[in-house]
Amino acid sequence: MVRAASEILHTRRSPSFRRIRGFTMGLLPSAEKDSPTNSETTFVPESSRAIPVSNTSESPTRRSGRRSLVALAILGGILALAALGCDANAHQSTFGVNGPVAREQLLLFNVLLWTMVAVFVLVEGALLYAAIRYRRKPGDPLPPQTHGHTPLEIAWTIIPTILILGLGIWSVVVLFKLEPGEAIALAKEQGKEPLYIEAVGHQWWWEFRYEDAYPDHDPSKPAEEQMELITTANEMRIPVDRPVIMTLKSDDVIHSFWIPKLAGKQDVVPTRANQMWFLAEDAGMYYGQCAEFCGTAHAQMKFRVHAMPEAEYKAWVDGWGGDLAEPMSPEAARGRLVFLGDGQCVTCHTVGTADQVNEVGEGVQHARMQTYIAYTQWLSKRAEERLEDVRTGNEPPTAFAAPNLTDLADRTTIGSGLVDLNRETLRQWLRNPDDIKPGNRMSELAAIYQTRLDHRADLSEEQLSDLVEYLMAQRHLPVQ
Amino acid sequence: MVTITGVIPRPNTYTGLWSWLTTVDHKRIGALYGFSAFFFFIVGGIEAGIMRMQLATSDASMVSADWFNAMFTMHGTTMIFMVIMPFGATFFNFLIPLMIGARDVAFPRLNAFSYWTFLFGALLMHGGFLIGQVPDAGWFSYANLTAAPFSEGKGLDFWALSLQVLGVASLAAGFNFVVTIINMRAPGMSLMRMPVFVWMTLVTSILLVLAFPIITVALIELTADRQFGANFFNTAAGGDPILWQHLFWLFGHPEVYILILPAMGVVSEIIPTFSRKPLFGYPVVVFSGIVIAIMSWAVWSHHMFTVGLGPIANSVFTITTMLIAVPTGVKIFNWIGTMWQGSIDLRTPMLMAIGFVALFIVGGLSGVSHAVSPSDFQQQDTYYIVAHIHYVLFGGAIFGIFAGIYYWYPKITGKMYHETLGKVHFWLMFIGMNLTFFPMHYAGLNGMPRRIYTYAEGFGWEGMNLLATIGYFVIVISLLVFIHNFFRSIKKGEEAGHDPWDAPTLEWSISSPPPVYNFAEVPVVKGQDDYWITKREAAARGETVPAEPHVDVSTIHLPSPSYWPLITSFGVVWLAGGLLIDVGWDYIRFPVSFIGGLITIIGVIGWSNEPPAEEHHEAEGHH
Repeated sequence: MVRAASEILHTRRSPSFRRIRGFTMGLLPSAEKDSPTNSETTFVPESSRAIPVSNTSESPTRRSGRRSLVALAILGGILALAALGCDANAHQSTFGVNGPVAREQLLLFNVLLWTMVAVFVLVEGALLYAAIRYRRKPGDPLPPQTHGHTPLEIAWTIIPTILILGLGIWSVVVLFKLEPGEAIALAKEQGKEPLYIEAVGHQWWWEFRYEDAYPDHDPSKPAEEQMELITTANEMRIPVDRPVIMTLKSDDVIHSFWIPKLAGKQDVVPTRANQMWFLAEDAGMYYGQCAEFCGTAHAQMKFRVHAMPEAEYKAWVDGWGGDLAEPMSPEAARGRLVFLGDGQCVTCHTVGTADQVNEVGEGVQHARMQTYIAYTQWLSKRAEERLEDVRTGNEPPTAFAAPNLTDLADRTTIGSGLVDLNRETLRQWLRNPDDIKPGNRMSELAAIYQTRLDHRADLSEEQLSDLVEYLMAQRHLPVQ
Repeated sequence: MVTITGVIPRPNTYTGLWSWLTTVDHKRIGALYGFSAFFFFIVGGIEAGIMRMQLATSDASMVSADWFNAMFTMHGTTMIFMVIMPFGATFFNFLIPLMIGARDVAFPRLNAFSYWTFLFGALLMHGGFLIGQVPDAGWFSYANLTAAPFSEGKGLDFWALSLQVLGVASLAAGFNFVVTIINMRAPGMSLMRMPVFVWMTLVTSILLVLAFPIITVALIELTADRQFGANFFNTAAGGDPILWQHLFWLFGHPEVYILILPAMGVVSEIIPTFSRKPLFGYPVVVFSGIVIAIMSWAVWSHHMFTVGLGPIANSVFTITTMLIAVPTGVKIFNWIGTMWQGSIDLRTPMLMAIGFVALFIVGGLSGVSHAVSPSDFQQQDTYYIVAHIHYVLFGGAIFGIFAGIYYWYPKITGKMYHETLGKVHFWLMFIGMNLTFFPMHYAGLNGMPRRIYTYAEGFGWEGMNLLATIGYFVIVISLLVFIHNFFRSIKKGEEAGHDPWDAPTLEWSISSPPPVYNFAEVPVVKGQDDYWITKREAAARGETVPAEPHVDVSTIHLPSPSYWPLITSFGVVWLAGGLLIDVGWDYIRFPVSFIGGLITIIGVIGWSNEPPAEEHHEAEGHH
């Protein structure tokens, strides 16, 4: 193989061989034999005559040698400046990593980066050096007409190949460490169970479901008695030092689940259930964001991960969906009626467990399912037919998967990580979600936003206030 | 019908508007491609500017989310399909017959058909702007975001249908250049004597012919889903959104090399000329181009590392993708090897070519860091990737294109551009390019996803985005300098002469601009860098080589102009555009589209029945 290649390379330099093979590499014996002084007189292209070159007393080589040094210094300066751009403290920095997954990915990136920096300096340096050192000066002769250098060319093919295969093998090893199996093994080592969380991507918010929110059961009790089913939205709570295995599903289009400080991204694909894992070593809040373009509000499909000590996490799990931290005020109690009545919030949103909802109306879940089916059928119609349905009043009831609002006030943001949650923003959101988040299914689908031309909620200010009170009462953690 | 189409005589005008509409002259078609591509370059640039202004500060609201999404969709689609590819076609058209010593391409009328189909397809793509329904699912338009429930309106229909029209144009051009290069070479021009640009054109054309059917299949499926209610990508009915990704990237990755290989060919012509040395390791440069083309078929899933294909598939595509860096690196080493010990003249084309190499190295190296899938998990879909593709496609392809424009400007126009303005253009564009795209690496690594229309304060992305926006305006200024230089020099530029650069390839042996028949006598090629051989042999005898003298054009047989390519292209675009008609009765679009099909058929029949070129047409034509 190598021999055949070198034969081909050599044909350029062997006139007899060239003639036999019948393909010429364009070697010019006469030009090659020309002595430099000879060709100087015969070849002065128009372009070189046109260039004025300043006269200096220094020898050209020294001058361009110094220029090369200056160029290299500038190159080094740029690289030094380049390091300043990496901000480990930025909310979503891939440098400020926490936990084994992101750390492993960063280590790999750093090794690649510095290898690349070395290659960059060498190759750009050679390019700059050649461009400066071999600049044409007036009266320069025709340079030696070399056509190649086989050993050199073989070397610069083989050395990068070896370098790349070495890095490639290492990266494959790292790749397998990122598989969920690694998380299970790690948990076993620690004598724990990994925490399984399902993330469901919706346009444009995240739903988090915990099938078993606290997997380390008391072995004396039957497991199903202790299973904690939790459904929350846009803010996920996890214990530190416990591997978390995410199962990723999509309700509509492709999204991508990404918490830069904890782990690289994994796509959330309808028809699939992808898995990935991470582990937070330090308690704190981690920022996440959808990374696959998913439509209008893709930019605002954020989420947060709250990592906390095991005990604190367990307390949250135990309290979830249970008694509220404080008894409801009269306003909040009225707000509950708005939630179930005029606001029709309950068509899509759940507060508390399914049982609590059923208390207020027989078959609410069933009704939801019916409306949901009707809605998806309607969606599959052509836009014109849909318009016709709206005109003739045949449009389906608007029901759609929507964030579970249980313990809403324990969360820190609203609108999928968009703004801080407080009475003011919540009120603004309820009045017209478009004001906070252009592109949201709520104002598009909920009936109360369809009756007015300006899409403002068809609720009085008092009703809005009551609703805000009701929702802000949904907490069981103490106010921070 | 046969008789009707048969009796229409071929057009015989060689001046005025009709002559441009019916031309089959590869040089004129090249010029048409060039101006169209530059027009869309401005359009795509304005779209980029809207995005850059929106992102200059956090929480900006200059444009709505939907408009921003439309902007990045159209920016990507325009720059790839309507700028870089037709710029490639500009050079193929103008140069390939000249470089291989031919009178025209193998199928001159098909060549005209390619151009008109491209132009109509590009205009159809932008037709959505007129009715405010612009494609907005990204240039990659991932299923199932493109499905009817998630993408209402006609935007995606405009996208899918006009891209199919553009695909027809590309396929026709691809076949034409493969056949031209294989069959039309002058005597003595063996494959291994062809200029590297011709080689890269051949490789690119083969890639075009092989890659476009794949995207066409995907687009037909998408069209079937959207127009006829099929379920290829409808997840609710069991369709698979990942099927789209495989098809799109199996086309999309060879497409990347369709974009960059012509620029590599251009640079491989310029560096030897301005170093006054033959290309270092010519066979290796040629073979590495071929190897890149072959390997480009085995790397598509690196766009899909995060899709969840599993560690085995990701490992394989990690290794294949990393390995493609080897032939690419070899090319770079050979270019530097060519410059080494050369006699380098830093005129604008050479500066642009060196800029190409310098910036392509950055793009290539950042490419390695996301060729590695575990590292890519953090970089995928962030601004780091945006930085990477712009180093490859702006720093690479666009710098290569400008290098080519400056290099062949004297050949095409017969005039010399203004050197100082050219250098100002280069330096401004080089600085602007780095100012725009280098900070994006940081924005991406600091966690900024791509395709977000706004971002909140406090994520640490403001500074980098502001720099990028400033850089954008520096690029705009550099392009204004270029436009001024281009038109000023056509009017006031010095006469360039036939061979201003002492270049090695055949196109420099004829006068500038080249006569309509190209070569009065078909040249006999003596070796690689043939024109250097001629000139140096003459110089050894103490002679100089003048441009080939002009001859009476009526003595040379040339293909005559034709109406039919224009008519057939019009039929093709009507066929596609008819499906977008939306007035009253919904099903009107089918008969309307059908009329386009009829026009196409009439065009094809007329084309095949067209009488052969009449000698007297040429005799009359040139007065």
